[in-house]
Amino acid sequence: MIETQAYSNLQRLSETMQTQHLKELFAQDPNRFDAFHLRMDGMLFDFSKQKVSTEVVDELLNLADEQQLESWIKRLFDGDRINHTESRAAWHTALRDVSEPRPEVAQQWRKLESLVNQIHQKQFRGYSGKPITDIINIGVGGSDLGPLMVTHALEQDRLACAPEVHFVSTLDARQLHTLLRHLDPATTLFVIASKSFTTIDTLSLAETAKEWLLQHAPNPQVVVNHFVGISTNPTKMTEWGIIPSQQLLFWDWVGGRFSLWSTIGFSIAVRLGMTGYNEMLAGAHAMDQHFKNTPFKQNIPVLLGLIGVWNTNFLNLSAQAILPYDSRLKYFASYLEQLEMESNGKSTRRDGSPVEYRTCPILWGEVGPNAQHAFYQLLHQGTERVMSDFILFSQWNSPSKRGSFHQNLNIANCLAQSRAMMIGESSEDRHKHYPGDQVSNTLLLKQLDAHHLGMLIALYEHKVFVQSVIWDINAFDQWGVELGKKLALNILGHIEEKSVEGLDSSTANLLKTIWKQHHEN
Amino acid sequence: MKINVFGDSISALVCAGCLAETGNQVTLVGHRDNERSEPGLAKLLDTQIDAGRLHVSNAFDIEAEYQIIALNPDQCLEGKQIALALAEGNHPERCIIIRANFTMGTSQRIAELAKIPCIVNPDFASEGRAIQDFKRPDRIIIGCRNPLAQQQFKRLFAPFNRNRNVMIDMSPESAELTKYATNAMLATRISLMNELALASESLGADIEEVRQGIGLDKRIGPSYLYAGIGFGGTHFAKDLCRIHKIINPSDSKEGLLEAVIRINEQQKEALFRKFWQHFNCHIENKVVTLWGISYKPNSTSIEGAPSLELIKAFLNQGVTLQIFDPMLEVNFMIWLRENLSLEQQKRVEIISDMYEATENSDALCVVTEWQAFLSLDLEQLKANMNTPIILDGRNLYDKAWLTDNQFIYYGIGR
Repeated sequence: MIETQAYSNLQRLSETMQTQHLKELFAQDPNRFDAFHLRMDGMLFDFSKQKVSTEVVDELLNLADEQQLESWIKRLFDGDRINHTESRAAWHTALRDVSEPRPEVAQQWRKLESLVNQIHQKQFRGYSGKPITDIINIGVGGSDLGPLMVTHALEQDRLACAPEVHFVSTLDARQLHTLLRHLDPATTLFVIASKSFTTIDTLSLAETAKEWLLQHAPNPQVVVNHFVGISTNPTKMTEWGIIPSQQLLFWDWVGGRFSLWSTIGFSIAVRLGMTGYNEMLAGAHAMDQHFKNTPFKQNIPVLLGLIGVWNTNFLNLSAQAILPYDSRLKYFASYLEQLEMESNGKSTRRDGSPVEYRTCPILWGEVGPNAQHAFYQLLHQGTERVMSDFILFSQWNSPSKRGSFHQNLNIANCLAQSRAMMIGESSEDRHKHYPGDQVSNTLLLKQLDAHHLGMLIALYEHKVFVQSVIWDINAFDQWGVELGKKLALNILGHIEEKSVEGLDSSTANLLKTIWKQHHEN
Repeated sequence: MKINVFGDSISALVCAGCLAETGNQVTLVGHRDNERSEPGLAKLLDTQIDAGRLHVSNAFDIEAEYQIIALNPDQCLEGKQIALALAEGNHPERCIIIRANFTMGTSQRIAELAKIPCIVNPDFASEGRAIQDFKRPDRIIIGCRNPLAQQQFKRLFAPFNRNRNVMIDMSPESAELTKYATNAMLATRISLMNELALASESLGADIEEVRQGIGLDKRIGPSYLYAGIGFGGTHFAKDLCRIHKIINPSDSKEGLLEAVIRINEQQKEALFRKFWQHFNCHIENKVVTLWGISYKPNSTSIEGAPSLELIKAFLNQGVTLQIFDPMLEVNFMIWLRENLSLEQQKRVEIISDMYEATENSDALCVVTEWQAFLSLDLEQLKANMNTPIILDGRNLYDKAWLTDNQFIYYGIGR
């Protein structure tokens, strides 16, 4: 990136832009919004509250050209093995290609549909012959966050015939035990979602679930009916005891954090029905088409990515807040934490050399109205410069008078916060002084339904990809998480042998204290 | 006396036929479509038509002394239209008798519209024995506030009140609620028995013995104490939903009737569950025989019948079905077509001989208590069946007799 002409030009531009207050930009050009927003069907992207000028945007687009973004997009959509460290494609776009689905994808859709229909028609049965009433999704990372986020966001679109869906991810098994205390083993179905089907977090929970069923079932043979497996590895699923008719597949070219579009989205399909699930895929597909076919100047994911690069590398902002103004998007920030930070939280370029510039910022977030009473203080008066994404939906379902009052209150708060961060307010009393000048994007979507949520998620996926191309890193591997897993196994060995030999003094003494407390109890 | 009976329901046809038989001039304002499923009804109507006392017509005589509304429960609107038409006759000395099971309050509205006194006289007859129940009723409820109309009603129904006086006067509201309350009480007894049947199974008790034990208690009485695979029928389920809706906004929020309905729905699949458990959930490609489709004997009515839930459950698990019912009608064929996939329909065979239907079968499910099912030819069953499993949904058989004869027997609660 830094070798490009555009980089030097942007650096030069950033020197003047950094001295400009956001409110001056609005004062200089009362129609600033006109130049700095984009639209597509169902979505408006307002980046006028970013510290950009027309020259900056043009140079960012030049940077994209110099980094060959266009050919990278083509390789993404063609299913090239762009995840070169694992020699895999990153072909999540093929999972939602509703116009020309790949045969293996369509085949899994059919299997998914048949299982979902059985469940909805109360014909998917547990060992007693009673229909399944509760589904527990056991998975971690991408096998958990995507379905959890989506089913929570679209709770009001849940079909009446859909069973309860619960999510369990943490390997301390507390979530699982809490659920098992009040569920009926005869009518509970476990969905074991694991890309490799070797993840210890997931499989240890699955074993605990199996043991619970064995305690209640009349004989061990009938327990297999209570498990659906979702993985790229049918051999491992069969070895574990998932019967083939209850195995759903996806492929190594689907990254974990991009997998909600695959059969990992089983629990989404259970809740929304196939119509809702397909609507979500169609929404994402619409964003794919926009990303692939729209000139960069009007391309929302491209601009969203480039502006992030501008803020990170030229304005030196190091944090990104995600602020949805809709409580249904409670898990959206967590979802993006994984999507962005696991993808681009890297410091090695594609060719193996270290990067000489900053990459993914620290990303966090919370439902806006709640965050206003938490960390907005820092955004308004802290020392950190932060970029924020406000996400707002213009339509609301409540026809009542109180309903529209709350909707207006919500809109007012969202718009007030982004404006307050932009404009600030001076006061002689330092405690009441608001410097303003905090940049933000606003994404205004028509409504929160499966289609628009599909669009929104795909938008961020492509944003992440655009940034990875500019930074010249591989967004699709995650070697960073391996060391911890390896050391955990090693320490588990120490715990089982009750030995601290070879451990550092901190780890050793923490363990000794734990053992001492166990002993005292 | 001149009477109009409005409606096409079995209730309307029976009422028209029986009142004609006692010497009245009756016009049935409706059609004779439903008569075949009710024993004796076709004969009754033919006889009365031949005798010249019964006419079937679309028009009605506004001068008739009695206007009897016996429409279906979902025809409240039609009931009100009839009331408006009757208002034009301006005969406040006549009376309207409402035997239809309308939603609460409809009768009052009809009385207001027609400007004629109104009597709520609920029909308590069971399908399959409707004529008998009309002629020899347990009670005749007269829900009315007009003494003159009460007298008129009593004259008309006197022939059915000869043995002992079973007429009770009450308010129209009480009469309406009595009808609902009757079905709610009966349904609750059945669902309670089905809950106790589950307890019997886990305790090793026999619900049939328990039933007889409690039935002799005079406070309880012996009827509607049969554990089984659930009740069906249009009216029963509809009434339960309606009374549930009436109870809900009142002070009780405990959901007793909801539980009654839920228990009944679960019970409909009881035989499937026993079969499923017997084969440890592996029942694909098995063959199962069903005896009885209608929700009760001597009827072709299949609405809400447990057999339908069983058919869906078995077919969804890859089972092939061989079905026998003494009185199958086209309504069942339509149900099959509308509720099953083509592939599933291919796995349903309807057989006209009850024993032929058990050939190569892995289990015989006795779903409806038709009389013809009461005595079994065990030798023939054993020769025909692949595995000698009897799933007795109505507790018709002597368990010991079957097990002594090397049958595997599953009843309800035993």
